[in-house]
Amino acid sequence: MTAVLAFSVFVTVTVGLYLTMSRDTFRCVIGLAVLGAAANLVLFAAGRLGSVSPAVVPVGETVLRDAANPLPQALVLTAIVIGFALLCYSLVLVLRLIRDARSDDALSLRHAEPIPDDPVKPPAAAPGCDVRWPPREGSS
Amino acid sequence: MVKSSGEPGRGPGWIERISFTALPVIGLMLVAWKLALFELPVRLSWSWVPALGIDLAFHIDGLSALMLLMITGVGTAVFVYAGGYLAGHPGQRRLYVLLSLFMVAMVGSVTADHLIVLFLFWEATSLLSFLLVGFNHERPESRKSAQQSLMVTGAGGLALLAGFILLGQAMGTYVISDIVVALPSAEATPETTAALVLILIGAFTKSAQFPFHFWLPNAMAAPTPVSAYLHSATMVKLGVYLLARLDPAFGEWPLWEWALKAAGSITAAWGMVLALRERDLKRILAWSTVATLGTLVTLVGLRGEGATVAVGALLLAHALYKAPLFFVAGNIDHGTGTRVIDRLGNLRHAMPWTAAAALLAGASMAGMPLSFGYIVKDVILDAKSAGDVFIFAKAANTIFGAVAVAVAGVAAIRVFWRHPGVNETCEAHEGGPSLFLPPLILALAGITLGIFPFFAQELIAAATGAMTPDAEAVAFSLALEFGPVLGSLLVTLAIGVGIYFLWDPLHRLFERVARLLGRIGMAAQYERVLHWIPWVAAVSTRALQNGSLPAYVALAGGTVTLLLAAALVSAWTDLALPSIDVWPGIGVFGACVLIVVGAVAACTQRSRLVLLLAAGLVGYGSGLLFLFTGAPDVAYTQFTVETVFVIVVASVLLALKRQGRATAVDERLWRPGAFVLASGFAATITALLLVATAGDFNTALSQFFADTSVPEAYGRNVVNVILVDFRALDTFGEISVVLLSFLAALPLLQALKRAHSARGES
Repeated sequence: MTAVLAFSVFVTVTVGLYLTMSRDTFRCVIGLAVLGAAANLVLFAAGRLGSVSPAVVPVGETVLRDAANPLPQALVLTAIVIGFALLCYSLVLVLRLIRDARSDDALSLRHAEPIPDDPVKPPAAAPGCDVRWPPREGSS
Repeated sequence: MVKSSGEPGRGPGWIERISFTALPVIGLMLVAWKLALFELPVRLSWSWVPALGIDLAFHIDGLSALMLLMITGVGTAVFVYAGGYLAGHPGQRRLYVLLSLFMVAMVGSVTADHLIVLFLFWEATSLLSFLLVGFNHERPESRKSAQQSLMVTGAGGLALLAGFILLGQAMGTYVISDIVVALPSAEATPETTAALVLILIGAFTKSAQFPFHFWLPNAMAAPTPVSAYLHSATMVKLGVYLLARLDPAFGEWPLWEWALKAAGSITAAWGMVLALRERDLKRILAWSTVATLGTLVTLVGLRGEGATVAVGALLLAHALYKAPLFFVAGNIDHGTGTRVIDRLGNLRHAMPWTAAAALLAGASMAGMPLSFGYIVKDVILDAKSAGDVFIFAKAANTIFGAVAVAVAGVAAIRVFWRHPGVNETCEAHEGGPSLFLPPLILALAGITLGIFPFFAQELIAAATGAMTPDAEAVAFSLALEFGPVLGSLLVTLAIGVGIYFLWDPLHRLFERVARLLGRIGMAAQYERVLHWIPWVAAVSTRALQNGSLPAYVALAGGTVTLLLAAALVSAWTDLALPSIDVWPGIGVFGACVLIVVGAVAACTQRSRLVLLLAAGLVGYGSGLLFLFTGAPDVAYTQFTVETVFVIVVASVLLALKRQGRATAVDERLWRPGAFVLASGFAATITALLLVATAGDFNTALSQFFADTSVPEAYGRNVVNVILVDFRALDTFGEISVVLLSFLAALPLLQALKRAHSARGES
């Protein structure tokens, strides 16, 4: 059972990170959602998959026997809610970005970066950037 | 009445000066008194950081006592001298405070018996050296020199710390006296060898040994009292002290012996050559100090008790002649305004007392009979002819001796008795007694010990005993004799006088050679490295912080992958490998199929709505999985959250569609690089999950909840009990996170709404 679950974890983590590395900010958010689901699966599986009966003590007994491990369930429950809050916040951020920057391309969000023809600190990606070795003498 | 209090902006009053000067005097008296009363060694120890096994342990043996006498004795002269040299200077109080702190740090360094304590004091001397070299901080070259001395000695200090920790861990103790006893019988491991190399680097940087020699002459930007104290008599000898301290431990190791001999000989010879290059009297003296330090290091590296005697004697003699010569250089600077030897001459009329001190100290430096330098020369000659010295050390020794004669001639005779072409020193005048008494007294001490060497006999013997604990009581006598040493002295003297008369042509020659070598020398390399630091910082910042969000994600993901994979690979042999266990039921299998299909669809679809639905499929699939593995609560939460998420995002997408942003950014759907990184990350996580679940499982915590849920919390649903009872604070935190994210999103949403309504109105 763990093997099948591990395979799904592999696929979801791959897809999650792959989407997060996208230029499209919306895809990034969806990637976060998928990554969050994968993390929950990992957490859940780490508590071992054994019994399939819920962790509820039957009436008349005082001790839980032969039930699923309750601890990872509690943790995953917390994680789901927090993950949801995180997703909603990042979604609002993306909306605001689309509104303000008029773009949903992550590579076009360069307001905080130096302008390409900045003489002092050109961005590394810019064509005029001086990344020569060794540095020019006397530039300091 | 308040004259003595010294207002800000003016120098300290005479009471204050005397109080400061009392510090080294009391120290000197204490050391002398203890020496006279107590049998060495003295041990003191207080517990300081017991958790780390660090004690404030001190151990005063003969070597420490010799250093202590030099620190307090030369210290007294320096404090008196500083009073006259910087009279009226606004920074004089600062100088006194720094010098006092420095003296304490030096005393701590040479008495500490714990490697870490020694390191702390050692670093303190480096820091105070930085502050003292940069005393005239208004001058850029002064700041530059201070920075250089801190960079070189500070980097060496780091190497030293690493070496100390390696050594301490390998030996199981940080107490120096224990290590010295235990190490000779211990086997050479890679750790101790690395420790040896690192400690050598630390000592060589401190004592300005080749290839770290270049910082010392630049440190002459400091005021003369500082140069005489730190960069001649005490601090630069710390490296030699440490080497001598550890020599009984490492002495038998060929690497130690050869490193000391090679570095010391090269430094001695090269320092003397560079001394000939200089025109500034202080820098000439600085280079000859470098050469003396090289000789000391060579002598530490030599075997045999004779060499040890020579180390002790040369340490003392050098302090007694080099400090006065520095004072003399300071007096000349003070009286004439220059230290360039071309502009000085015939100063004996204007500065008779300084001239006398220079003559006495110069005689000792040149090794003239009836001076302590002569006795030391005798001892060194004995040591070198007895030890298995290789030829280079002998050649270095001859150069050293001859150039020492010439340097002494320049400092003592040329500027006081001869008449160079240009003489611009008509205004020259003698300073007060606080300027000429300290060099005179120190130089006289050197001459006294030369005539009556048995005064120093016991001290040197104690120092020798500390450096060679295994040997029998070293039989030697410091005596004034005119044996074979006189012959070799005459040879050295003849060459030295030759160099003295040929000083100017030699200077021009060496200037040319040194300028050629300067381009590839260590000083040039240091400048280059310093020049590259901001460049490397700029380029790495631009490369790492390039403003691309995908690149940041890739960097973070790649780093995590590498770290986790490294941990997995390094622990691979200890890990239990997973086995194929129970075949999953139809429900779990179906849930997994749902998850996989959803995930694959999510990364192959271009339409945003389909992308969202595919992601929702992953969420519903996990909910289904929870449902079939005995976690109905989790499943319900997951279903609810996923439904709300899909509805919210779908409505957002509809709003975007109205703005014409329904389609994705124009980006290739298939990005191989990202896919490789993502699958590598996923493979690492999966491998981690598999080996984690294959290992033993500790059920203690789960069992606790299962046992106590009903009796203590009166709840039958254990998961709920954990959430609201056992881990209630956790849940509280979770609620806070949700609330916080809502609060954070609120202003953003309101801004969106405002923008929307504004557009509606216009």
